[in-house]
Amino acid sequence: MASRGFASEGRRVLRDPLLLGVITVLWLLLALFVLYPLTVLMVRAFSDEGRLTIEPLMTSLGDSSHRAAFFNSLILAATVGVLGTLLGFLFALTATRTGLGRRWLTLLDAAALLPLVSPPFTTSIAIIFSFGPKGFISHHLLGFDNVSAYGFVSTALAETLTYFPIAYLTLRPIIAAIDPNLEEMAFSLGGSRWRIFRTVTVPLAIPGFANAFLLLFAASLADFATPLILAGNSFPVLPTQAYLQITGMFDFKGGAVLSLMLLVPAAVVYLLQRYWVGRRTYVTVTGKVGQRSRTRAIAPWASVALVVATVLVAVSILYFYALLVFASAVVAFGANNSFTWHHYAVIFTEGVPAIRDTLIIALIGMPLGGLYGVLVGYLIARRRFPGRQAMEIVSMVNYALPGTIVGIAYLIAFNDPPIALTGGAMIIVACYVFRYSPTGIRATVALLSQIDRSLEEASSSLGAGSGETFRRVTLPLIAPAFFAGLGVVFIRSMTAISATIFLVSLSWTLITVRILENMTEMALGPAAAFSVFVIVVVFAVVSVLSAILARLRTATAGAAARSLLGG
Amino acid sequence: MAPISIRLDRVSKRFDHTVKGEVYAVRDVSLSVAEGELLTLLGPSGCGKSTTLRMIAGFEEPDEGTISIDGRDVTHVLPNRRGIGFMFQNYALFPHLSVFENVAYGLRVQRKGTTEIAHAVGKVLELVGLANYERQQPHQLSGGEQQRVALARAVVFQPKVLLFDEPLSNLDAKLRVEMREEIRSLQKRVGITTVYVTHDQEEAMAISDRIAVMERGEVVQDGTAQDLYYSPATEFVARFIGRTNIVEARVVSPAEVEIEGLRITFASGLPVGQMVRLVVRPEMIELQPAAAGAPDSAVITHHTFLGEKTDYQVKLGALSLQATASDHYRKPVLKIGQTVAVHFHAQGIHVLK
Ligand SMILES: Nc1ncnc2c1ncn2[C@@H]1O[C@H](COP(=O)(O)OP(=O)(O)OP(=O)(O)O)[C@@H](O)[C@H]1O
Ligand SMILES: [Mg+2]
Repeated sequence: MASRGFASEGRRVLRDPLLLGVITVLWLLLALFVLYPLTVLMVRAFSDEGRLTIEPLMTSLGDSSHRAAFFNSLILAATVGVLGTLLGFLFALTATRTGLGRRWLTLLDAAALLPLVSPPFTTSIAIIFSFGPKGFISHHLLGFDNVSAYGFVSTALAETLTYFPIAYLTLRPIIAAIDPNLEEMAFSLGGSRWRIFRTVTVPLAIPGFANAFLLLFAASLADFATPLILAGNSFPVLPTQAYLQITGMFDFKGGAVLSLMLLVPAAVVYLLQRYWVGRRTYVTVTGKVGQRSRTRAIAPWASVALVVATVLVAVSILYFYALLVFASAVVAFGANNSFTWHHYAVIFTEGVPAIRDTLIIALIGMPLGGLYGVLVGYLIARRRFPGRQAMEIVSMVNYALPGTIVGIAYLIAFNDPPIALTGGAMIIVACYVFRYSPTGIRATVALLSQIDRSLEEASSSLGAGSGETFRRVTLPLIAPAFFAGLGVVFIRSMTAISATIFLVSLSWTLITVRILENMTEMALGPAAAFSVFVIVVVFAVVSVLSAILARLRTATAGAAARSLLGG
Repeated sequence: MAPISIRLDRVSKRFDHTVKGEVYAVRDVSLSVAEGELLTLLGPSGCGKSTTLRMIAGFEEPDEGTISIDGRDVTHVLPNRRGIGFMFQNYALFPHLSVFENVAYGLRVQRKGTTEIAHAVGKVLELVGLANYERQQPHQLSGGEQQRVALARAVVFQPKVLLFDEPLSNLDAKLRVEMREEIRSLQKRVGITTVYVTHDQEEAMAISDRIAVMERGEVVQDGTAQDLYYSPATEFVARFIGRTNIVEARVVSPAEVEIEGLRITFASGLPVGQMVRLVVRPEMIELQPAAAGAPDSAVITHHTFLGEKTDYQVKLGALSLQATASDHYRKPVLKIGQTVAVHFHAQGIHVLK
């Protein structure tokens, strides 16, 4: 039965040389940049002098510091998951239920979205500036000396502030879709407001909570930058341990084993999110759009409390960013607060290679990633060919895996012949394209599900082959997804570090890596200046892309624009 | 007779059904369409009309059988190499292209010159009555106008064959009648071989040279509207084309059958004593006011006056029959409960095999 479909699908593809060619090339690329590195990683972790063994894994599990890192990672991720979900819920409630004006909402959104487009160390730097030995809050306001800004608490705090917008973006449409009339009705039946909140609003939002929690859990689990700066030796986690194993001790096998320990919880969480919780929340969001009457289901005093709490959080975030800008423009933060352009002078002289390399890589990766996303999305949404589902799954792998795993896998796979690519720019570009294009793939699939298949059939009945149909009809219609996908690749190319830290070289380096080096040299001024630069560039690019998406004016451009940030 | 243009030879198509497993959408269908002919595929929803049409277009590939167009086997030829114009139920206009560019699409694909394209598009838009609409965008058009653009786009590159999949189902009743006349007259003028899919028997009868009735993936009968109406092959066809009575009768002599004790002169050509089922159209039953108690008397149970005619429901013994009268300008409408004499007009009656 299935085999008959398989054979006839196969025959069809064979008769369409262009389609066959594209599918073949994509599979070759996926094999090379997704399957091969992962396989090599596994082989490295599970083999010893040519034979298969789980000994390295057992040794690693027996190592108490590795075990500690494993459990620390889980504890940190769970903490960030809970706190971030609560914070996201707070923002979502305020945004949907308190009748806040449009302007305020925009401000709220800006504060919430800033962390998502920032380079990785931003929050960490700000926390050091606030709570470090010479911290603005710890030292100047409270007068403590020699406090430590390092450890579990500050790491959890920084990650929560960085990742809670994911929860906000997940929960907001769900809460907005819970019909206030439902709450109103319960209210008019005489329920107390608190009771209604507990028995109507919260239960309806539960799948959303689960979804937000899992997404945050995964983000924290994969986070490399924050714990590297803030966790210190007292609180080792898997990504940083794996990194130190490789860069500090040149122990590739140990790094491989550690990254596989990370893979298990990451895969479990991803599968849970994608195939169980994610589906449920999707059903909930059938949101009718349009103006709604203000709900009375939240008491006036509660509204005020929500707004105050939200504004406090938003102000702290903005304060962090203000601190960053300030620190980038003073001689030595905390010690000498006189104004200087010096740090910017540094990044635009010594830092130029990193800036140039990053921009080159981002600009090469951008169109490639955009095109790749649209092509794969189109194939899996629209074409029937053998291995279609496999392609869908494989194309998501590098996106779902923590960056550390991908980075180590690439390093091991491409360091030696037969395919020695490390040291070049191409390996970094490939890493970004295959890791960050899935946003574009999903945007394409979502867009295509709204475009009737008959348009493409019409084109083909009018004589156009599959390539021409794609170019003349499909591509113009999925342009929003193309630009969204391309935007995400650009943003991540400017801000990512967890995978590419393993791939930089003397000839090709990245801004984010330079920020890390600055931090370890305690050159916080240039680190802050670099961060500000990245934020400005990313904001500029996002603005341009949003303008393009707005001009495309298709019904689906809005959704694509949101995926720019959500991805 | 004109040479055959489209030929389907024992074509089948199966789909995977999540519950039922593999099911036939089209089963063992053989059809041929002569050059310049308009054949309609008619049948209820889900009977496989669209699937058959889509196999002719090449959007679906048959699991068994062969399809040829103008003598060329196209069973495994991609749709863009078949030279077929296709009209979709939802029109499928390209939303990002103007009316002109929509119509010009097929010519652009063929890399025709600019002046040639402008000329051809102008001419065909005139033909469908949209001469000044070239620069409009599809979303600025009414349903009927979109329909015409789709038609213009499908014929402009002079395809060998034109296929329609329920093209009128999104239009209101009046426009539907208007458009089907237009499609028919255009088709005749251009003389293009056409296959037309609909589930509306009236539309089918109005537009077709020939109709193929489909039921559950199979073609059950294929003929002119009159063939189907007067000599339906099955009860299904009889009921699908027009209204009908299916009446059980017994052959009582070479020249007579008996219905509910009523003897009717009808040479069935079947052995005496055999039970037969007869197709009796409502207009073949004539009702006359009569006194109660006669053997052919029946009672009116229901009537609907429709102006040009009146539909009656009468009870004859255990039988409930539909009858139609269209002469009320000279005869009063019969009342409910009134006793009538039933007269069958034997010439029109058809025996079901
Ligand atoms: N792509 C498909 N996958 C699975 N089943 C299909 C597919 N296309 C059609 N079918 C099934 O094949 C049968 C025939 O479908 P088809 O669309 O040809 O019917 P139709 O006669 O055109 O009906 P309608 O008048 O409702 O358009 C249906 O039972 C339908 O469910
Ligand atoms: Mg159909």
